[in-house]
Amino acid sequence: MATTFEEMVTNPASNPYTTGTVGGSSSSGIGNFLGGLLGPLIGGASIAGGSALTKSAYDRLGDIGEQAVLGTTVGDQRIPGALEMAQSALDLSQFRPFTVTSATGGTFGVKPPTMMTDPVTGQQFMSGTEATLGLSPEELALQKSLFADATTAFQDVLQEGGTAAREQGVYDRIRAVQEAEEQRRQLALEERLASQGRLGVTSAMYGGTPEQLALSQAQETAKNQAALMAMEQAQAEQLQQANIAGSLLGASYIPQAQMINVQQAAQLFPQLQQQAQLFGAGQYGETMMSGLEARLIAEQARANLLGGIGSGILGGMFSPVKTDTGIGSLFGSLLGDIFG
Amino acid sequence: MAQPLQSINLVAPAFKGINTEDSPIAQDTSFAEVADNAIIDRQGRLASRQGNSVITTTKTVLGTDYIHNIHEFYDSAGNEVIFSTGNNKIMTGTTTLVDATPGSYTITANDWKIVNFNDHAYFFQRGYEPLVYSNSLGAVTKMTAVSGSSVTSSQYCHEALAGFGRMWVVGNTTNDTIIYWSDLLDGDDFSGGSSGSIDVSKAWPAGADKVTALAAHNGFLVVFGEHSILVYGNPESPASMALTDTVAGVGCIDRKTIQNIGTDLLFLSDDGLRSLGRVIQEKSLPLSDLSRNVKQDLIGKLSLKTSPATSVYSPENYFYLLGLPDSNLVYCFDLRGRLENGSFRVTKWPSVNFKSFARDRNGDVYIGTVDGIGTYSGYDDNNSSFVFRYTSPGLTFGDPSKIKILKKIRPTIIGGNDSDIVLSWAYDFSIQANTSRFRVGTSTPGFYGESEYTAVEFTLGDLISRKSLNCTGNGSVVTVGLQTEVNGNSISLQEMNVLALIGKTL
Repeated sequence: MATTFEEMVTNPASNPYTTGTVGGSSSSGIGNFLGGLLGPLIGGASIAGGSALTKSAYDRLGDIGEQAVLGTTVGDQRIPGALEMAQSALDLSQFRPFTVTSATGGTFGVKPPTMMTDPVTGQQFMSGTEATLGLSPEELALQKSLFADATTAFQDVLQEGGTAAREQGVYDRIRAVQEAEEQRRQLALEERLASQGRLGVTSAMYGGTPEQLALSQAQETAKNQAALMAMEQAQAEQLQQANIAGSLLGASYIPQAQMINVQQAAQLFPQLQQQAQLFGAGQYGETMMSGLEARLIAEQARANLLGGIGSGILGGMFSPVKTDTGIGSLFGSLLGDIFG
Repeated sequence: MAQPLQSINLVAPAFKGINTEDSPIAQDTSFAEVADNAIIDRQGRLASRQGNSVITTTKTVLGTDYIHNIHEFYDSAGNEVIFSTGNNKIMTGTTTLVDATPGSYTITANDWKIVNFNDHAYFFQRGYEPLVYSNSLGAVTKMTAVSGSSVTSSQYCHEALAGFGRMWVVGNTTNDTIIYWSDLLDGDDFSGGSSGSIDVSKAWPAGADKVTALAAHNGFLVVFGEHSILVYGNPESPASMALTDTVAGVGCIDRKTIQNIGTDLLFLSDDGLRSLGRVIQEKSLPLSDLSRNVKQDLIGKLSLKTSPATSVYSPENYFYLLGLPDSNLVYCFDLRGRLENGSFRVTKWPSVNFKSFARDRNGDVYIGTVDGIGTYSGYDDNNSSFVFRYTSPGLTFGDPSKIKILKKIRPTIIGGNDSDIVLSWAYDFSIQANTSRFRVGTSTPGFYGESEYTAVEFTLGDLISRKSLNCTGNGSVVTVGLQTEVNGNSISLQEMNVLALIGKTL
């Protein structure tokens, strides 16, 4: 589990990059430092001592530069270098996966790129950012249902002969309505013809009687109109069916669209988190860099001091001065004033 | 004490024709019990009919058969052909019968119906392809061979009518209710134009029937069934024609008995002779029964009828002849007027071999017999005599309960040149009659414009014979009669005076 920036701020001990205090003082440390510094001066010759201090100061500067890049440990506290801090900044600014869950149970998640292996070549490669959109079981069921309905509707629309069958169906229904009246008229005509003794008339001109021809023409006209109406109705219904199918298909994507809307609405929060993350990473870097800079300055000062001391010692060695209390007391009071 | 003679004067005896339906003793003495080979002449007397003057001299084609049909074809150009049928042939001519049957056309029946239509003669017989004759065709031709014709076996019909600009046919071998009509003015085209058909099987007013005859009358198409009549109006437009009247219970049993007498249509039903006008007016009430006075007698004869009847209407002779070849009998209905009961005066011509009749435009009545074609003229049947007979109804002299003793019979007879007259009388309906014979004088009448008048000599008029014959016997009801052979001279009975003594009451 990665440690967040807030945790590192509020609980420095949890900062994996912090192993101790930065810039703290310690008497025991001072003593060691002085022992190490004065030893050569006190126990060596003055020339050799001054040169040694100058070299020590020089080496310290070199170490400080190296520590600025690679980091160091101060008082058991690991002080990261610029390299580590860059790495830390990179890690801290790394994309944080997040998940959005809607009120209806749908989820939207984004995973950072991961190292993957090509199953064919065996080469490793970095995957892209993976975003997943998930629906709740209810939404998924609804989507499947609508999708199936849309599929069925489209199949009905595109079914071969479907229009013709529907035309026939509509035609039959229209004719069923018309046939009752036609039958009444037919019966009335039959009764009239029967009363006139003309039921059995067959003529080359009319087929039957003129009245029968007129009725047949009316019936055929009605049939023609019914056929045309059936065709128009079937085509309209086909279009309507296509629209319904399209609507069903569109409706089947509504849960997904709504999830996307939710995700878009929730984008603010990962952005805020990202901004905070980036800000924290920046702050971290800047803070750490300021510490490094302070230490560098301090170390520079100490090196300058040592270099000055060394230069002074070397200068004093080659310039005779009045001695009152001896060198020991001189160095003692001097160092005591300096390090107090 | 001597009794005065009672007289019954039978003026114009049998003036009302035969009456076999009413009681003999209650009958009007103007009726006759028997009036054979008689007509009612122009003076209202009972007279002998005319005979059959055969004009055919060569009838080889006819063989031993008789003439079943006679038809006069004429067209607008004045062409005329007399067609006759018999011996399974179609013949032309009158003096010499010539076979006009189309080649490769086999006939096994002679019940043709021949009609003229639009300068063509059409021959129809059930089950046979119709034949056509016209002056342009020049010969009797199968209908299918006529250019532009269209006919199927449905039109191989029994009955045909030319009317309203079309041919109408009905009665093929399988159907007797579908009437087919041809295209307008095209009697051999039954499939195109305005041709058509009507099935009248559902139009009968009283159940099922079959069409026996068709007639055109007064702008109506009359469809006769055996027991029903349908009258269609507007037949000029057959597809739109509609029933205007129906008659149930009366029909026509023989298509050859239909005669249009100008103001009415006569036809033979199964219960006698009927007229369409009266039938329609009275809805088949018995008043329209034109043969009521011989109804039972006629129905009895019709029950024996197996071959087609024949008929002719002759306005020149004022009669309608109904021939029943099966019975060798002809009923002669006098159309001058009707009796009180609505019937026509009727006489009978028994024992004649008149098989067919026809009347041409000149008014000549043709008679078809085994001898060929003859005309209704002269006073013998192909040089053979026939018997003219009269028998009165029962005479009671006003009191049937008293005995009558006949003393004299004094007939007044016109004509009968040198004929033997046999007077008869009988009592109480006995079939055994007393007879007395006498001969009338000799006188061959020559009339203006006829026979010898223009040639050699003429007479002053008909011979009138008055004889007084003494009678014997007695009885309560007296029947008198007269008969003579007619052989070349007409004879008519003007009057018969019967004198009797009235005896005691029985």
